[in-house]
Amino acid sequence: MIALADGASSSPLHFVEYFLDHRSEDLGLLWSHTWLSVVPVIVGLLIALPLGWVARRHRWTYPPIMSITGVLYTIPSIALFVLVPPLLGLDTLDPLQVPIALTVYSVALLVRVVADGLASVPEETTQAATAMGFRPLERFFKVELPIAVPVIAAGLRVAVVSNVSIVAVAGTIGLSNLGQLFTQGFQLSTPDAYYPPIVLGIVLCVLLAVVLDSAVVLLNRVLTPWRRAVRT
Amino acid sequence: MNTRTLTTAAAAAVLALGVSACGSDSSDDSGSSSSSSGAGETIASQLIMGGPPEFKTRTDGLPGLKKNYGVEFGKYTVTDTGGPVTVNALKNGQIEAADLFTTDPSIAANDFVALEDPKNNFAAQDVLPIINEKKATDGVKTVLNGISAKLTTDGLGDLVSKVQVDKQDPDAVAKGWLSDNGLAGTGTSAKGTTLTVGSANFPENVVLAEIYAEALKAQGASITTKLNIGSREKYYPALKSGSLDLFPEYSGTILTYLDKNATATTPDDVYAALQKALPSNLVALEKSDAQDSDAIVVTKATADKYGLKTIADLAKPAN
Amino acid sequence: MIGDVFTWLTDWSHWTDTRFDTGIITQLLAHIRFCAMALAIAMVIALPLGLFIGHTNRGRWLVGAANALRALPTVGVLVLLTVIISPQFQGRTDTGFLIPTVIVLVLLAVPPILANTFAGVQNVDPGVRDAASGMGMTGPQVLFRVELPISLPLIFSGVRSAALQLIATATVASYLPLGGLGRFIYDGLAQQDYPQMIGGGVLVAALALLTDLVLSTVQRYVVSRGITGRYSTKQVGAPDPRLAVVTEAEGARA
Repeated sequence: MIALADGASSSPLHFVEYFLDHRSEDLGLLWSHTWLSVVPVIVGLLIALPLGWVARRHRWTYPPIMSITGVLYTIPSIALFVLVPPLLGLDTLDPLQVPIALTVYSVALLVRVVADGLASVPEETTQAATAMGFRPLERFFKVELPIAVPVIAAGLRVAVVSNVSIVAVAGTIGLSNLGQLFTQGFQLSTPDAYYPPIVLGIVLCVLLAVVLDSAVVLLNRVLTPWRRAVRT
Repeated sequence: MNTRTLTTAAAAAVLALGVSACGSDSSDDSGSSSSSSGAGETIASQLIMGGPPEFKTRTDGLPGLKKNYGVEFGKYTVTDTGGPVTVNALKNGQIEAADLFTTDPSIAANDFVALEDPKNNFAAQDVLPIINEKKATDGVKTVLNGISAKLTTDGLGDLVSKVQVDKQDPDAVAKGWLSDNGLAGTGTSAKGTTLTVGSANFPENVVLAEIYAEALKAQGASITTKLNIGSREKYYPALKSGSLDLFPEYSGTILTYLDKNATATTPDDVYAALQKALPSNLVALEKSDAQDSDAIVVTKATADKYGLKTIADLAKPAN
Repeated sequence: MIGDVFTWLTDWSHWTDTRFDTGIITQLLAHIRFCAMALAIAMVIALPLGLFIGHTNRGRWLVGAANALRALPTVGVLVLLTVIISPQFQGRTDTGFLIPTVIVLVLLAVPPILANTFAGVQNVDPGVRDAASGMGMTGPQVLFRVELPISLPLIFSGVRSAALQLIATATVASYLPLGGLGRFIYDGLAQQDYPQMIGGGVLVAALALLTDLVLSTVQRYVVSRGITGRYSTKQVGAPDPRLAVVTEAEGARA
């Protein structure tokens, strides 16, 4: 808000001042970056759970499901971002295009995690649950899924942290998130280098990744009380 | 078995290094061959030109330079749209000619020479607001036309260098300009209108959008800004569909975007052609005198070496 | 739309260079060049380090620190390094843009390779290690004759995971004026040439799949049959290169 005519320093360490001067915009970018990183992982997990279950339950579906999601994972993010609007008939500025593209990635990563997580449930455990009278669906939610939580959580950590970085790529094609700090800083780097927005963007991205990663770790602990009991 | 394992692993590593080495060789080849190819040819054929990707196909891009001046560069490298990559590539010698914008403060800062364009290859580029017809009430029009009446090319240059060179906030620069030009007064002439103002992702366009936004806000309009949207390909569809209502544009560029075969070059012809080319839900309000057009820019050293003043000089034989 | 992409890809004029357009072949080689350079450098750094840490169990924090590198936003680091490095190079060279790109890609490739190498060595059955020492093998002999061959499947999945990420991420090099397959994506976007843009995406995906195929073939011949045989009884199919790291992260913390 205040003109920083003389106060404007290009030093990398001035990212704090830069943040304070542009607080409301930067927090807006951080907020959109956060939900762009989180929502796709949650939606992706909701889609990946039944797919992973099918892949595990009907063995013949495992290879095709894994190769299709494997191919999806190799599509470069930038291509996916620009492809989603024309393919789905969305507006080019539709805020949904990035979450949809990222959901595709999250599903691609998490289907395998869910299937492997379910595979980590010992055969004896499932047999015992069946013997206790659990029906398949009940057994899935009450026995298999809780036991698979640590493996799934490990996958979620990778998905959420890499999403933070991929969302920033969407900033290079003009979508509103922390990636814009990089393009703006780059734009202002002629005639002289102007570091504050670039450094601020990196710092905020790293902080966001650390916070989201810790949240998953915490969630994993809460959901698997028996593991703590064993460890002590 | 173990030794074989190691040997194979080592072989794979050597292979990877080999591939990378080959890769760099081949690219060096392509670089040197292009620079040495111009035996007895024009000046342009000895130069590498850099600019945005669409410059290769745009009517006023490489095809226009060839048609109007007979200029054909030795090679074209995609850099960016008059941004930091282009400026640095020109400054550091990765390219010898560049497509930059005339208000760019780096032209003066680096002693670059903008070549004259006597045949008007680049159409007039007057700054003007493009607005959703439904939002263009009389009050809104008065405010925006008042801004256009005061905006000049020099004034635009000042605005850009305040943001680009002095690193001031576009928002503050916009407010300062409005009060310097006696446009900062508050009122109610735009009351009741809700507008979303957008801008492309380069400083000049951001300041212009801020000027529109601040002036309308002062007149009681309720304003949302969506600044730093990427390129025209990204924001124009949003403007057309109504998710953006107001955008600072450049008459010639938006015309060629809408009509690839547009031939108008003078400010008035471009303006008239633009009004026809715009879809029925968008209108161009009054144009300002401020021009920011494309220019072929070279370094001072290159200009001196070949005696370059106009784009036409590039078509002269080398030596 | 799909037909247009097919037409774009099968038009031979898009494969060769012209005066102003760089063809697919040149951009493909440029793409392979960035990725191969970055992968080679990352392997030179991460393999010995991972073997050392896994074998001696010293400096485990390095593995965690490398994993933290994943949190760095690729584009941000690329822009930062470019602003610092590119003005240092003058003349008709792309070195000023190549160095930042390769550094960014190396940062991306080191964590999976390091984590998997470390995990591979760590996961070697202590009984096997004891037996090797009992047979009179020295430390380095245990490492190179026992631990390394046994951990090769995990190491390979780390390298494959790194290669996949590099190929997909090297497209951001075209945000700078560098070649590579990303050029078609960014240029197609700017020129509103969607077949070109999608075609570029298809080429990247194809390159990634082909690379994974090549690496899995190399893996088949390099990894001892005794190990692969045992592996297949434990797991359904080959381990997924993307997830080897996931299992590692768990393993390291458990």
